[in-house]
Amino acid sequence: MIKIEFFGLYRLNYKMSSWETEAADVNNLLKKLSEYNSFYSYKQLKDSIILVNGKNIMDLNRFRTRLKEGDNVLIMSPASGG
Amino acid sequence: MATKYGAYAGKVLLINLSDQSYREYPLNDRDRKTFIGGKILAARIINDFISGPIDPLGKENILVITTGPLSNTNAPSSSRFNISTISPLTGILTSSNCGGNFGIRLKKAGYDGLIITGKSDKLVYVEIIENDIQFKDAEILRGKLTGETQEILGGKSGKLVIGPAGENLVRYACAVSEERAAGRGGIGAVFGSKKLKAIVADGKVTQPIYNADKFNELRKSWTLHLRDHPLTGEQLPKLGTAALLASMQQKRILATRNFSAGQFEGYKSISGEEMAEKYLVKNKGCFSCPIQCGRVVKLGDKQVKGPEVEALGLLGANILNDNLEHIIKWNYELDELGMDAISTAGTIAFSMELNEKGLWKSGLEFGKTDNISERIKEIAFRSTPEGDAMANGSRYLMQQYGGEEFCIQAKGMELAAYEPRSAVGQGLGYAVSNRGGCHLNAGYEVVMEGLGLQINQYTPKGKAQIAILLQNLMEAASAFGNCLFTTYAFFPGFLFRKPNSLITRTVNKVLPYLGPILGIINKRPGLAQINITPMLQHPACTMYATGIRMNMGEMMKLGARGFNLERMINARLGIDTKDDKLPKRLTDVLQDENNPQSKVPLEYLKRKYYKGRGWDSQGMVKEKTLKYYGLTNLDLIDSRKLEEQTEIKIIPPKPKKEKPKAEKKA
Repeated sequence: MIKIEFFGLYRLNYKMSSWETEAADVNNLLKKLSEYNSFYSYKQLKDSIILVNGKNIMDLNRFRTRLKEGDNVLIMSPASGG
Repeated sequence: MATKYGAYAGKVLLINLSDQSYREYPLNDRDRKTFIGGKILAARIINDFISGPIDPLGKENILVITTGPLSNTNAPSSSRFNISTISPLTGILTSSNCGGNFGIRLKKAGYDGLIITGKSDKLVYVEIIENDIQFKDAEILRGKLTGETQEILGGKSGKLVIGPAGENLVRYACAVSEERAAGRGGIGAVFGSKKLKAIVADGKVTQPIYNADKFNELRKSWTLHLRDHPLTGEQLPKLGTAALLASMQQKRILATRNFSAGQFEGYKSISGEEMAEKYLVKNKGCFSCPIQCGRVVKLGDKQVKGPEVEALGLLGANILNDNLEHIIKWNYELDELGMDAISTAGTIAFSMELNEKGLWKSGLEFGKTDNISERIKEIAFRSTPEGDAMANGSRYLMQQYGGEEFCIQAKGMELAAYEPRSAVGQGLGYAVSNRGGCHLNAGYEVVMEGLGLQINQYTPKGKAQIAILLQNLMEAASAFGNCLFTTYAFFPGFLFRKPNSLITRTVNKVLPYLGPILGIINKRPGLAQINITPMLQHPACTMYATGIRMNMGEMMKLGARGFNLERMINARLGIDTKDDKLPKRLTDVLQDENNPQSKVPLEYLKRKYYKGRGWDSQGMVKEKTLKYYGLTNLDLIDSRKLEEQTEIKIIPPKPKKEKPKAEKKA
């Protein structure tokens, strides 16, 4: 299973802090998530900040980044102001 | 002195606590046009009074409280006011931009600012109701907490008070208005040294708007823009600043274990999301602010102000505490005692490491939380030897017990919660900031280095020029009377809504290479004679409010003028390049052994920064820079001559000719 954790507006709007699923890559994972909870569409989810095991997918293979059992995925909204 | 400009009250009140006298301070329209208000006008006034090093807790120090022209208008997020003084923590200029109701009420009383000089024999509070100025005995308020003090003073008037920490001269005591604090640099201790417990202000004076129709039109579109922006319209209203914590963790920017790391295992349990889910009661914000970033949270059966990201990071990760309820409680206690959360938490973390290394038996240990609450009180009341020593801040402890390389302060001020080895531009900002280790006066470059935009957080390329640009922007916004958070809407919302898009990725990649172009803008900001609405509405709004010609270029020039003036004052207080430094932990030790870039390349960045600022290699503002910003031959008003004046001159407010719609709503 792959654990997905939500931060920022995603966590507030989903009303859950994490979710687990199986997925081959990030694309696949986002599709499954949008089907499981329709608050965000697949297209909207592609505009989130996504990290796989602490690395931004934009520095990996973007939405084609492969996922494997035990991976940790973070989905975050941008934040600022201190 | 009456003014031809709109939105100004036209008067600054000079109060001498020594003989309980008051008079109008002679500022003219040239000063208003050149220095506008807030921290920049305050620096102009301090420049008149302070010509060399002084004892910040002595009679010769002054407090300058200034509003901006947009204060007491309905412009968004404009209820701010500024307090500047010579800091008892750093010995140099400090300024604090504060929310709460005091600024608006001071303007309603008919004043753009207050200058407090001298020292009272007994504890007093000053009540300013338009032209009726009274010095009242404050013995009944002695030792009272900030909330209780405001409650006793009662009514709806604007209040600015100190708590026990200020009375006991804790060098990082703050002044509080409602539940907002003028936090940094020990302003509360300067109040305490003058035996000034509180200032109360109120009145019904209004200030005419120069072009009310245009102003209101722009004010509305600005409010809409802030509401529509992902940061000011979604993230800050829904999660407050606390939402940053998770992003800081991911980018290795979350100060952990006295800045020995940038990530904390227990971050989830002290995050903004956790606070929103388990403790949030409601949002709360300042008057006329569409952002509403403040939080009201549960603490037992009480409802208290929620901690901001600085408190979450520094009272959490930085002392290895993962208990959010503890942070909420300590944060509340600090506000009530009147103590800056950042400096308190930084001093606690340093004391923990001193203890761990056997340099000083502080009785504090990382991860041990059962004695923190008690220690906070001991600091506020200076009631134990340890509390008394810690009340002087980290630098004092370092001078007594050593630990320079891990004493996390700049110019004597403890750093905010952003670990700069993974945000090197922010690191530069901390080192060159005019008030010391302040994240905002630093320029808050971290907003582009991972918290918001995602430019390379480790490269020094372009970082000095970006820091200058952001510092100038914030400096000017503060002078107008705005909250600094309004400047985040300067960045196009698209970049935050579409962080993975080709455009955003390109912007992130290209920005560090724009240093030379930014350098031209920074060197000659006056060239940009344009207004870029809706991104940057501050200058146009100020222009329609006051009648003073203002655009983006003039705004940046104003910001640079303010920053250079502050540097000039600090130079007179002994500051030069030797003081623009960070502890060795941040400049010489890698945060991540596998990443050779994970430290602040400060000397390189400083060279670029000085050049960009027009300073010499010693960090002194060059003559030609002073000349460009109109800072040579300032007509210094000799404060001794003022002391010799006997006439008490308060000009009664003129009958109001025009009441703009904005005022009616207020």
